[in-house]
Amino acid sequence: MSPSHRAASRTAPASPVREPAWELPRSAIGLWVTESVFSTILMWLAVGAFLLFAPSDGGPLPLLHRVLPYAAALYAVVAMGIRPWFKHRVYRWEITAEAAYTRTGWLTQTWTLVPISRIQTVDVTRGVLQQMFGLATVAVLTASSQGTVRIWHLEHDVAQRVADDLAHRAEQVRDQAT
Amino acid sequence: MTAPPSARRTSPRIVLVHTVTFRQARQFVPVLIPIGAATGFGGGTGTVIALVVAVTLFSLAAAAVTWWRFGYADGPTAVVVTRGLLSRSVRTVPNDRIRGVEVEAPALHRLFGLVRVRIDAAAGTAAGQEEELVVDGVPRAEGDRLRVAVLTHRSVPPAQPDAGAPAPPEEELSRWDNRWLFYAPLVGSYLALPLAGIGALFRLGEELPDDLLDRLPDVDVPSGWVIGAVVLGMLLLVLAGAVVGAAIVNWGFRLVLRGSTLVAVRGLFTRRHTELELDRIRGVAVSEGLGMRLVGAARAGALVTGLGDAERRGQLLPLGPRADAWTLTHRLVDDPGPLRAHPSAALRRRIVRALTVGLSVSAGGAVLLTTAGRWDVLLVGIALTVLGVPLAYGLYGALGHAAGPHSFSVRRGWLVREQVVLEQRAVVGWEIRQSVFQRRAGLATVTACVGAGSGGYAAVDMAAGDVAAFTLAASEPWAGALARPRRDGARM
Repeated sequence: MSPSHRAASRTAPASPVREPAWELPRSAIGLWVTESVFSTILMWLAVGAFLLFAPSDGGPLPLLHRVLPYAAALYAVVAMGIRPWFKHRVYRWEITAEAAYTRTGWLTQTWTLVPISRIQTVDVTRGVLQQMFGLATVAVLTASSQGTVRIWHLEHDVAQRVADDLAHRAEQVRDQAT
Repeated sequence: MTAPPSARRTSPRIVLVHTVTFRQARQFVPVLIPIGAATGFGGGTGTVIALVVAVTLFSLAAAAVTWWRFGYADGPTAVVVTRGLLSRSVRTVPNDRIRGVEVEAPALHRLFGLVRVRIDAAAGTAAGQEEELVVDGVPRAEGDRLRVAVLTHRSVPPAQPDAGAPAPPEEELSRWDNRWLFYAPLVGSYLALPLAGIGALFRLGEELPDDLLDRLPDVDVPSGWVIGAVVLGMLLLVLAGAVVGAAIVNWGFRLVLRGSTLVAVRGLFTRRHTELELDRIRGVAVSEGLGMRLVGAARAGALVTGLGDAERRGQLLPLGPRADAWTLTHRLVDDPGPLRAHPSAALRRRIVRALTVGLSVSAGGAVLLTTAGRWDVLLVGIALTVLGVPLAYGLYGALGHAAGPHSFSVRRGWLVREQVVLEQRAVVGWEIRQSVFQRRAGLATVTACVGAGSGGYAAVDMAAGDVAAFTLAASEPWAGALARPRRDGARM
């Protein structure tokens, strides 16, 4: 999985840190595709309204009238056809003996690590779409507004187990949690 | 039932203070103005006097009712504040939720020998809520008693001595030097106030009734040097305003270490007395604005866990020489050593960014020049491009990070350059971000998540290969989870 560093360390730069061990369930792809369908529909409605109602002369408007449909089509292809699978490769998570660790994002990737000893609360949330796919998000909160680990789109029973386990262990090893 | 046995009241003298300042009456102003406008302000001096008397009486009544219905009690386990005329509100704050007590004495309060006690009590992490209990208007002695009582009842610091025990030794860490006032005109926040004042004056001038303007003696159109003199006068006024503003806020600033508590006192009219527990200080931020760097000035603030209004209360050195700021910083947090510069790829990113902005504006300007004959946008674009390069160097020069045996440090910013020094135990998490461009340049932005200050402090654009080593060196061993299992020998 990890790119070969000996051969091409320049062309395929290594990620700055280790990648978390576990991947998300495949059903997360379905969820992301569904989300993209909704956002694409909204975007097409907006573009359609622009093409219908905006005047087509003066300034950059004619250019916009020509370019926007193509941009909307490109967005649809990327959002529904490429991004969900790409995200599924990026989104990873891991609970180690000492910490919760995730990687999220797609173009800009974010690794977040929070030690179990500094966990303040653990939340499990299930959005409407997530419930349709049987998924849930585990949010691990600390004293810092920025130090929040969100493990997106785990299967619901896994999410609940992870949350219970984290909360239980946090209680045992908690030091001054700030 | 409604109040605990030892319910106390504030001093009745506070009614006078609040009558004069219209403290309670103020909130009715939005209601009164339309009423006044509807009935019409027209009429002679008699109406005005009647109005003034009425408003004052109203203010007196409001202040008296507030005083009558206000009570507080500091029990062994909690502080209870009761208030409200129609809807009684009882707030109970457990002592172990209290994070600090501040005693302040505004000028008018001092005239009557009163103080205002603010009890900082955030329960849980619910932000945005009113996090303070304010007991306004107790005699100075009672204010001090309340502060000591609340702090000693708290179970967290067991080392707090009794009120009767001899005071622990004091050590003065910092004392205001009036020469530091001359730094004030170079600090943005002190300049803002007089500038706003002058702006308000201009608006007022515009809103003067026309007949008043007509009655002004006719002046000839002012010649060039008169305008110059006026501008110079304004400038001097702004500079003086900044100095006066800094003096009002910081006069007699004194930072004292008393036992395990830092005590800060300051203010010309309103004396503020703030206490910070050493044990809650996780780090120090030293910030230097663009103007301050010219004269070697800096300000220092403590990063304290769970402190409301930390910007104001955490101040260790409101304004002073850079050397003093750093001496103070290293007194509180270990010195992690000199900063390491970030790789040259970080400089390239900054230059590319600056040039992209400048050149795209220039390109737009060129189009406008050919199509509409406007040349001003092109000029702005060229100026942005030319100025962008030194700005990029400035931004890059501010970047740096260092990890010592017990602490670490990151620095960023050009307009306001901020360097934070944090203890290892301060870190409650790491966040590493890498955009597509950063990945290609072999860089990453590392944010230390901290339960104090702004919540996170970032080392922007550090070498991607150094991230794992830095996070491990700058926090406790759990950060080792970020390190790659050593399979691939070479790194960079």
